[in-house]
Amino acid sequence: MKQTPEEVLIQERLKPGAVTLDGFLGNDNRHYHDIIAEDLDKIKELGITKEEIANRLDYFTDKALMNYDEEATIDGKYRVRYQTERGKLISPFKDKGLIPKGVITLLNTENSQQICWTPLNISMIRNHGFFEGKGAKHRLEPEMLFKALFE
Amino acid sequence: MLGLIIVNVLVFAGIGGLLALLLVLADFFLANYGDCLIEINNKKKLTVKGGNSLLNSLSENDIFIPSACGGRGTCGLCKLQVSEGGGPLLPTEKPYLTAEEISQNYRLSCQVKVKTDISISIPEELFSIRKFKGVMEKMIDYTYDTKGVIIKLIEPKSIDFKAGQYIQLQSKKYPKAKQVVSRAYSMANSPENNDHVELIIRRVPEGIMTTFIHDYCRKDDQLTLTGPYGDFYIRDSDADMIFVAGGSGMAPFKGIMEELCRKECQRHILFFFGARTTKDLFLTAEMKEYEKKMAAFSYHPVISQPEASPDWKGLTGYIPPLLEKYVRDPAKTEGYLCGSPALLAATEKKMREIGIDKIFYDSFG
Repeated sequence: MKQTPEEVLIQERLKPGAVTLDGFLGNDNRHYHDIIAEDLDKIKELGITKEEIANRLDYFTDKALMNYDEEATIDGKYRVRYQTERGKLISPFKDKGLIPKGVITLLNTENSQQICWTPLNISMIRNHGFFEGKGAKHRLEPEMLFKALFE
Repeated sequence: MLGLIIVNVLVFAGIGGLLALLLVLADFFLANYGDCLIEINNKKKLTVKGGNSLLNSLSENDIFIPSACGGRGTCGLCKLQVSEGGGPLLPTEKPYLTAEEISQNYRLSCQVKVKTDISISIPEELFSIRKFKGVMEKMIDYTYDTKGVIIKLIEPKSIDFKAGQYIQLQSKKYPKAKQVVSRAYSMANSPENNDHVELIIRRVPEGIMTTFIHDYCRKDDQLTLTGPYGDFYIRDSDADMIFVAGGSGMAPFKGIMEELCRKECQRHILFFFGARTTKDLFLTAEMKEYEKKMAAFSYHPVISQPEASPDWKGLTGYIPPLLEKYVRDPAKTEGYLCGSPALLAATEKKMREIGIDKIFYDSFG
């Protein structure tokens, strides 16, 4: 597949040891374009958009931030905790600005679906539709996202 | 017919490739911009070889513009005003600049190429930022996941800074990390002890730098850093001060307390340090020593999970709700914060509710 120099650089930055130790591809050997294409097809089948997912993740992230690193119950059924860290990261996609570090966990208590994401996940989903490769530490399966955030 | 198509495709591809090669060669051999002049703040003049980025041209002349991405055009930190030269604003810069900044000729110095003489304006304090070579002198285990790090400065041998400012430390490649990264860390020493830099580094899961420090860096390893950066330092006033920190956010306050104690500061100071359990507390004895030496200083560690520390007799819960009863006069109180974004957000919100509006913290860009 023909790639621009910029795309080659992004593929390299997604590998372990570039932006984070574990990287964003897991054991997925596909090009990031193919990962994105398959996941965007999936969310289309689910009837949601990447922007809707990113907005929902942002909503819980912002609410949980004010709870001082402890678990909060949001909207009655979501148990959310944002473990924040000092420092910021750049996006492997060369997106604007620096992105805060930290991990957010959410449990939908009605259906017991739990998910875990980072602020960088939100940026990569919103701007590129990238949910990370299979086996990556913060890979977000579209079906699980749908079940946790929209059911 | 198929053969003809293939020949045509090959001919056109060949011509395209040849033109691209010619462009590269022309740029290499003909695009000699010669020496260019960079005028800074209408007073300092540098002569540099043209063709390089403004960011690199300045750093080669020991002027370090803050940048977290190493000049890759992704962090947007290296903004400065270009009043003359620099060429047109590039599409790669626009997302990082507000309409007001664009109208004031702000540019990303990593994207601006120095091809002609250029005039720029930068804050005066950037002239004091230097690049340092040092060696790892000592590492102290403060807790199970937090280390004190002392880097002896080799070249230059000392750093001028205000207590509370930060440096950017550069990692080295190691088996798990293919790239060198720079990360910001608050200095934990006082400006009087300026022959070294002391940092407090907590291990961050997946962190390239913190894994380097905790697992790979050894005594006498050579390290590179730049600094000092930031405007987190004690303001000169007689207002009461409330310090709020958590985790490695202790770092700037360690340096600040050394400095305030040396200067025999008489201001009323309350220092709240948040931790989950007693295992996360460190430097408690040092802070208690300051209580003995400074009559108006008191130290208050606060444990958020007391059930995990049954012998704990001190404050429990979260810091923000505790603040109100300790503040004497909000209008005459300054808040100084350093810790996780959640701690900063919750504390700033509470302080503003109480009526404290002079709140200082460093978000490292």
